[in-house]
Amino acid sequence: MTTPTIVDGPEAGHAQKQRRVGRSRRQRTDDAIVGIFSAPAVAWYIVFTIGPMIAIFVISLLFWTGFLATPTWAGLANYDRVLHDPVFWTAVRNTAVQVLIALPVMLPLAFMLGYYVALKPRFHRVLRVILFTPALLSLSAMGTVFYAIFQPTGMVNSALESLGLGSLAKPWLANPDTALYTVIFVGIWSGIGFTAILFSARMSAVSADVYEAAELDGCGHWRRMWSIAFPVIKDYFGVLTMLQFLWTVFASAGMVLLLTNGGPGNSSTTLSFLVYEKAFVQSQVGYSQAVGVILFAVGVIGLLAIRRAFRQNY
Amino acid sequence: MTTTTAPPQAARRSVKKPEGAHNTQRSQGRGRALIPAHVLAWVYAALLAIPIYYIIVSAFKPNLAIFSEPFALPTSLSFENFATAWSRASLGTALANSLLITGVSAVLTLALAVPAAYGLARAKGRLGTAVERLFSLGFLIPGFAALVPTVLLAIAIGLFQTRLFVILFMPATALPLSVILLTQFMRTVPSELEESATLDGANRWAVLRHIYLPIATPGIATVTILNLLNFWNEYLFTLILGGPNPSVRTVQVALPTLVSQTSTDYGVLAAGTLITLVPVYLAYILLSRQMEDALLQGAVKS
Repeated sequence: MTTPTIVDGPEAGHAQKQRRVGRSRRQRTDDAIVGIFSAPAVAWYIVFTIGPMIAIFVISLLFWTGFLATPTWAGLANYDRVLHDPVFWTAVRNTAVQVLIALPVMLPLAFMLGYYVALKPRFHRVLRVILFTPALLSLSAMGTVFYAIFQPTGMVNSALESLGLGSLAKPWLANPDTALYTVIFVGIWSGIGFTAILFSARMSAVSADVYEAAELDGCGHWRRMWSIAFPVIKDYFGVLTMLQFLWTVFASAGMVLLLTNGGPGNSSTTLSFLVYEKAFVQSQVGYSQAVGVILFAVGVIGLLAIRRAFRQNY
Repeated sequence: MTTTTAPPQAARRSVKKPEGAHNTQRSQGRGRALIPAHVLAWVYAALLAIPIYYIIVSAFKPNLAIFSEPFALPTSLSFENFATAWSRASLGTALANSLLITGVSAVLTLALAVPAAYGLARAKGRLGTAVERLFSLGFLIPGFAALVPTVLLAIAIGLFQTRLFVILFMPATALPLSVILLTQFMRTVPSELEESATLDGANRWAVLRHIYLPIATPGIATVTILNLLNFWNEYLFTLILGGPNPSVRTVQVALPTLVSQTSTDYGVLAAGTLITLVPVYLAYILLSRQMEDALLQGAVKS
């Protein structure tokens, strides 16, 4: 993992051929091979991933107004500012609302849908293809589509009017009461399908005997789903919950940026959008990274909590 | 996160399970008890399909028709919206940039990940374990959080808002998954095979090329499909690192600019969106099975 001076391929091959007798020698050769072959990948990874990750913590301790300015030491002043900033607490609240709505809605629905698809009902192939579509859509395509759909003259309001429910029509993305929920809706919309496919792949791997036994006992689908399928794949449920948690907490910045830009006011600013906004719009790099560190801590604590909650216990 | 490291084959098998294996469940699938489930599943499918249908029909309609009859089929097949979107967002250049960045990044990722996976697959020492653990750690690191330091890095080496930096950066995001998946494939190579080849005078690179690569081909295909899709669809990083300049930006960055330019010209927005989706859906039609498998494996591993 240290950075050995990397020689070019063919030479490396010769170099190690000279020594290959004895066990400890062999061990050393082994390490040399690992070193030589994986060094470029490791170096790449350290420069572009590990390095920046560590830098977040350092930058959060600096006063840095804009990318071209010279930073000065700030100590914990950024954290102090963050914790006394009402915008930060709005973002915390919004992120909490997002997680507390998105996960409890998305995962049970995806689980049930996955169970359904695993039963291979009629037309399940068509259904699978449809459920798969959101996984192929890019964030920016999704953002653009839903921007058009939720505009005052967009699809949703047109549909409401043609159903005679015109009074419910509103500027979904420009209304502080609905902007955040619209972002959450888009996340759920795109998340259920693919998560359901993942669940169904896992459930078809569960032996059919388990279900047969349950059927003989006279269990209906509801019981079979929650009393048999769920306990069997509980750890997997936890893994997908963690995945969705990470996507919701960390990746919401892109969708918020595309749909509402955090607004109106700060009504749809989430923590990850705040990291983006402070750094790239308001040029408060130190502040942004202090939020980044807090976000990272939230992520790790959340993951540990979810893992604990879904520990396999049979 | 790293709890589910079942070998890739297992994941694939479960997807491709033959019909017969589920006879009993099949018959249950037709029962009356499932009627609410049928209804709910198809309601959600409709929810997924409606926006996509809306976008497809809107792309061929003038704005007035979109407002008055949002769900009606277009009365004529006009490609005017496509032409407008194409020129307003310079989608031609953007498509070329996306192809370049996606393709080169994917090749670079393989060039880095395949040797690394080979080294790790035949490692028995402590160093190998350490390197593997380092890459598994990557699953825990939220890529997005490191955006700001990455920008500073790009500025420091004088490559900020260039395609080159995006190309250099992308593989790093894909390395953990690519290395771990490929290592699992290469572990299936029996060590006797390699030893006998080495005795015959083959050097390491020959061994890698003629013994490991053929066996790891399915893994390489999976990893490549996954990386191509992720690189093509990447938005926030390409927006910031590549920048908004029309000559270097990708389709994902170019598309949302239509929103600010045209605001409520939904026909143009829809047509632009379809243009960016065409390459992905073409690939999906050709490789649907492989793409589904790749996405399933990718999601579970991370």
